[in-house]
Amino acid sequence: MNNEQPILLVGDNPFHGISHLSQQSVKNRGTEITRVKHASDIVKTSIENGANGFMFSVSETTLSILKMLPEKKQKERLNLYALVPYAYEYVRLATHEGGLPGLAKRFAKEVLQSGNFKTVGFGLKGVLTSDPMDLIKAYLSYEIIRIKASAKNRGVLRSVLLHEVITDMAIALNLESLIKSYIKFMNDHEIEPGFETRNFPYFVKKFKEWDINFKGLVLAAPFNKIGFYMNPSKDECEKAITDVFGSTMIVMSILAAGYLKPMEAVDYIRGLPNANAIVVGVSTEQQGRETFNLLADKLKIA
Amino acid sequence: MTTKKLTSAVIGVGKMGLVHASILSTLPNVELVALCDKSNLIRKFCSKLLSGVRVVDDLAKISELDIDLVFVTTPIPSHYSIINSLLSKKEAPNVFVEKTLSSSYSDSAKLCDLARNSGKVNMVGYMKRFAVTFKKAKELLNQGAIGSINSFEAHAYSSDFFGLNNPSQVSSSRGGVLSDLGSHVIDLSLWFFGDFLVQPEKINAKDIQNNVQFNVKSDSSVEGFFDVSWCKEGYHVPEFGLLITGSKGKIAVDDDVVKLESASGQSFQWYRHDLNDNVGFLLGAPEYFREDAYFVESILNGVSAEPSFDTASKVDYVIGKVFDGAEKK
Repeated sequence: MNNEQPILLVGDNPFHGISHLSQQSVKNRGTEITRVKHASDIVKTSIENGANGFMFSVSETTLSILKMLPEKKQKERLNLYALVPYAYEYVRLATHEGGLPGLAKRFAKEVLQSGNFKTVGFGLKGVLTSDPMDLIKAYLSYEIIRIKASAKNRGVLRSVLLHEVITDMAIALNLESLIKSYIKFMNDHEIEPGFETRNFPYFVKKFKEWDINFKGLVLAAPFNKIGFYMNPSKDECEKAITDVFGSTMIVMSILAAGYLKPMEAVDYIRGLPNANAIVVGVSTEQQGRETFNLLADKLKIA
Repeated sequence: MTTKKLTSAVIGVGKMGLVHASILSTLPNVELVALCDKSNLIRKFCSKLLSGVRVVDDLAKISELDIDLVFVTTPIPSHYSIINSLLSKKEAPNVFVEKTLSSSYSDSAKLCDLARNSGKVNMVGYMKRFAVTFKKAKELLNQGAIGSINSFEAHAYSSDFFGLNNPSQVSSSRGGVLSDLGSHVIDLSLWFFGDFLVQPEKINAKDIQNNVQFNVKSDSSVEGFFDVSWCKEGYHVPEFGLLITGSKGKIAVDDDVVKLESASGQSFQWYRHDLNDNVGFLLGAPEYFREDAYFVESILNGVSAEPSFDTASKVDYVIGKVFDGAEKK
């Protein structure tokens, strides 16, 4: 890791009933964890034990969790890293609304109802010119407003990250202009542009090809000692991370979805160059206490 | 030396169309040259975003291009007419279609004939065969790890339409739960145990578009039970699984883990983590990359791919028999 205090983020996957280990783990956790009060208690406990940020997919559930966290003075506010779009929610809506065109119509309605002048402006322009970037800007404005309205004095929105499905489709389909427009839009709003990916070496290669500087970007990708979700291979991911100096590099899946114990994960993470942030999902207050205490202690810079 | 890339097109730019178009774009020996969709909005967006890719509204325009392989990712009810049109051309392309092959066994049988006559590679996207856990289960069965098979229970659950008052209003556009969700476990069962017959007296399908249970029996007396629903609570991620009982033990397998329990009480388990689940490019699930890369390799090597149209049509046969049985009841 870099020679600086790491950012330790509480992840939200358990609050959505997601486990990358097995569906059985989701059933074992029960439904309590998906209740907002219970989830916000887990986040609070994690923060009291060393976490200093919250990384979440933007949904009604996570925004409600955010609203239940305590308000803080400016310097003590939580670092917020938001992932958009919340893929499951939009796939579910597309299913219910009759595919992508149905989803687009529903979203347009919500943007109009938001009443925000800028958001509506981007949306109208997007519809009139059929320019996807304008619609994306409308969508991003809409999400930023929702997050800030929920966060108030509780946290500072550091970054909005594109969900891995969007990032990975964009790099696969060579959507260079879309990525560059997104970076500019976020920079204009003084929010760090972020990208979550499950194809880190391919991502790094594409960004270098497109001459995009990693400085000022927030990146999130899986890193763990057994190579779980590290595509195409652990070796190639470890080579690629040496190229992203200047970014906020969030390592995720450090416990390989619960397959590894936190202690096993720490040594591996410590040895990763350029990694300066970690996100871990915890499903009980006890887990939050133990995990973040351990991470804060073992990754502390003397 | 540079070799000519295979040219590819995707028909139907929904969720699955985008996944396959993206993966094809990352394969070194494939070039994505065209997309086809009937939605004006989607065509406009694709045209603005994708340079160097033709975006068309009509199948005939795809046929005019020199395309080596076509992915059909439209809703199931449209598969027959699209594939029929593609394979009826003098120079038919290699065709991959998302499951199921078509809406009925009779249509699927016609497509099998056309595909055979075309001499090209054809494949249906039963991607669960490419999941490391189901592959491991197949390997264990082939090794006789649980002796001769007596019975199995298969399930496919999702929450896609959980909580809706009238799910059939929207769910029917996806071809019904048996085709959309159940077809995966029917295909896996045919792959694991060979052909079987539906037992018409044991079908429970009062709401056949959304919830179905039925029993099957194979020539070798293996008895099977299927439970399929997309109205279950708690399945954000769809779950597919089988519990297989043999003379020497049991295997339980789903997308995440394979568990082997021998009659002597020994047990073993393999998570995805233990089975080398990494791929060249991960989008959606590793299985998508593996099936696409395998289809392309089959074309390049001039060999047939599995599950072929012939193999996959057996799933449509089983689904047809469940519908027939439910209707008679």
